[in-house]
Amino acid sequence: MSDTDPVEKLRRTAQDEATTDEFRVTGVMMQYYEVCERELWFASRHLEIDRDNAAVVRGTQVDDSAYDEKRRNVSIDGMIAIDVLEDGRVMEVKPSSSLVDPAKLQLLYYLWYLEHIVGVEREGVLAHPTERRREAVELTPENEQWVEDAIRGVHDIVTQETPPGAEEKPFCESCAYHDFCWSC
Amino acid sequence: MTENYHVFSDGRLERHNDTVRLVTEDDEKKYLPVENAEAVFLHGQIDFNTRLVSFLNDHGVAVHIFGWNDYYAGSVMPERGQTSGRTVTEQVRAYDDPEHRRQLARKFIRASIHNMRANVSYYDNRDHDFGSVITRLDTQQERLEPGLEINELMGVEATARRAYYSTFDDILPDGFVFGGREYNPPKNEVNSLISFGNSLVYANVVSAIRATALDPAISFLHEPGDRRYSLSLDIADIFKPLLADRVIFRLVNRQQVDMGDFEERLNGCLLTESGREAYLKEFEQMLDQTVEHPRLNRKVSYQHLLRVEVYKLKKHLLTGEEYAPFERWW
Ligand code: SF4
Repeated sequence: MSDTDPVEKLRRTAQDEATTDEFRVTGVMMQYYEVCERELWFASRHLEIDRDNAAVVRGTQVDDSAYDEKRRNVSIDGMIAIDVLEDGRVMEVKPSSSLVDPAKLQLLYYLWYLEHIVGVEREGVLAHPTERRREAVELTPENEQWVEDAIRGVHDIVTQETPPGAEEKPFCESCAYHDFCWSC
Repeated sequence: MTENYHVFSDGRLERHNDTVRLVTEDDEKKYLPVENAEAVFLHGQIDFNTRLVSFLNDHGVAVHIFGWNDYYAGSVMPERGQTSGRTVTEQVRAYDDPEHRRQLARKFIRASIHNMRANVSYYDNRDHDFGSVITRLDTQQERLEPGLEINELMGVEATARRAYYSTFDDILPDGFVFGGREYNPPKNEVNSLISFGNSLVYANVVSAIRATALDPAISFLHEPGDRRYSLSLDIADIFKPLLADRVIFRLVNRQQVDMGDFEERLNGCLLTESGREAYLKEFEQMLDQTVEHPRLNRKVSYQHLLRVEVYKLKKHLLTGEEYAPFERWW
């Protein structure tokens, strides 16, 4: 890999505070990448969402109070914020049945980050509050590839001068940027 | 957060526990539900203190003060919930780039002439003959060439607005004589109605801008001002025909206001309290009116159109995507 590879850039940002060419990826950015690239671009520019919009950013609106077992919220390098269960597994709550992939990618990114940047291996669990079900998630080579491709994809989008064009998606209606995005 | 509350009485506005209370001069108490308030408009003589201001600030509610002379007197704006260095930087950059500024200014004028024309052709299609005015408006549109300087653009807009206003004497019933635009203070009934309506559009745009991180003082058509929020002037011009003027035509033609709703004061002609109330009732209804929005794919209120307008401008500044100001499409 050349050192201009986004994955390397991310590693340098995490490990070297003095890097001049910062590149941060948060779990939410991974989610956005999977949901809508335009939304990712908006979010990366810190475009505020309409403060009157009832639909809060997806994923943060999940009521996960059902999970009352001991959990610790751990934040690392200001990039990832994870829920660690008592047994050490990392948990991510899946907001709705239509958003499995975004939540899974976010969780996989955390596992990837822990393994490749922090240097600890962890297992993950994806919780489905509405279905009262959990799914074990593992960082297989295939999933590693998915994460690394996504990191490169995120880099591609956030470094563009202009956002990807608007495209009608099933999520648009609940998107916090809706009116901003579709006004012209 | 879309309700506007209008206070007419004289008295004191105060924080009372977790609400806002109005105590009138004869000691009557009324409560204003601020939870869903966009702004409070004060039309009477009202005392208030810093405790009230910080309470409204916490709730993101603006206070617009309407005085006597030309109606709008000023605003107490809550600290903006949104601040974004990048947004303001892009706004200043566009202002500072003469080509970009001219381009935006031209778009504002194009849209505002379009919206004047929409009103004129409505009456032209009914029982008036405004063909020559429409031609004059179209001529002004054609004059809007890319190379024009801001003051030349302003000149085109002024000529168009004069042509537009020339229809008012025909549209309005006998007795309401307009003559031409005069303000500070308005000299006759029609001018007074226009001043009041324009101030309300202006204040509502101020509220809309406040909801974004745009700086209301950095504008493109009007010179950035330190007294008024000049960006609000830019945007309000586009909406005056749709909102302020149509309310005037309705009220006067349906005789919901008459000569008795005005008084001579301070060397000018001003709406009485009952006249203002009648205007506001119609104006607030107008803001609540909805229209199917082709891009947003749902019905939106006219008030929300103001908000969307600010989004559009902000989106243009931050993404470079084309900005097409509001032109009445129905
Ligand atoms: S409204 Fe739709 S296209 Fe626009 S950012 Fe949101 S999800 Fe993406």
